[in-house]
Amino acid sequence: MTLTTFARTQKGHSILSTLDPTPPAFAHPSEAAFARILDYYDIDWEYEPRTFVLEEDASGNPLEAFSPDFYLPQQDLFIELTTLRPKLIRHKNRKIRRLRELHPEINIKLFKRRNIRDLMIKYGIDDEARKILGQEAQ
Amino acid sequence: MSKRKRDAGPWYPPEAYGELAEGIQRVLIPADRIQERVLALGREISVDYAGRCPLLIGVLKGVVPFMADLLRAITVPVEVDYMAVASYSAEARNKGMVRLEKDLSLPITGRDVLFVEDIIDTGLTLNYLLRTLRTRDPASLEVCVLFNKEQPRLINIPLKYKGFDVPDLLVVGCGLDFRERYRNLPFVGLLKPEVFQADVED
Repeated sequence: MTLTTFARTQKGHSILSTLDPTPPAFAHPSEAAFARILDYYDIDWEYEPRTFVLEEDASGNPLEAFSPDFYLPQQDLFIELTTLRPKLIRHKNRKIRRLRELHPEINIKLFKRRNIRDLMIKYGIDDEARKILGQEAQ
Repeated sequence: MSKRKRDAGPWYPPEAYGELAEGIQRVLIPADRIQERVLALGREISVDYAGRCPLLIGVLKGVVPFMADLLRAITVPVEVDYMAVASYSAEARNKGMVRLEKDLSLPITGRDVLFVEDIIDTGLTLNYLLRTLRTRDPASLEVCVLFNKEQPRLINIPLKYKGFDVPDLLVVGCGLDFRERYRNLPFVGLLKPEVFQADVED
């Protein structure tokens, strides 16, 4: 029930840098900032490496799918970032809940707006925090 | 334990900390509870390391109050050393990787090393430092943290000794800072949202 779409590890990206120096097309500045922090601490990551089908029609066509933002292979951990305000993340929580029902073996963590803000404060990148938190949605 | 007895101790009450106390929404862990827990950790470590001389390693600066208390709560011979890591500044980011501003003064090859931390949250820094230390072939390498913030953990790190689980909120005191302040509070408190919102979400 999974569909591989796009994968680019940080290490792979380094290896391929002469061929393809373009970084992944991050959907949101928070994702780019998060990737930079992981790089800084030498943590391998993949950006949206897997798409999980959450719902299919009777013919097996996907009706709803979910691509967690990051995968940390050494930790076997998927990470979904969201800068949505808490009252607006219901649909994201529902997707994660559904993913856990379908794939109980998957480890996934939701990094919420507050987690991202705290991370930015901790690493002293307030300029990025302002930029990220100034946006309501991804 | 009666309130009177719990309040008894060498520390000033929270309100004595003036403008620092004004930034605190509420006390999360009182000073006496922290002291009791540190003593218990010291006892546990003393039993586990009996007959050995562990080397306690901390990362400046947040660990200083905890390390000072923990050292005095351990009854077996110990040695202590510190490291310092460059903060994730623009300059450090441009250099690309974590940079040790201060390395250890003592060799750790063949030593029983106990890495002491004030708090673990994502585990990114601790993971990096433990990897670095492992390349130096210590006889053993364990971790002791005073505060554990589980929710934002990205890297799974076994914690042999743990003081308290703390909620996923901005907490300060006992070495934990916000903009380098609040480290000297003997208790752990929740920072008022207006303190950091004024800075970050203005």
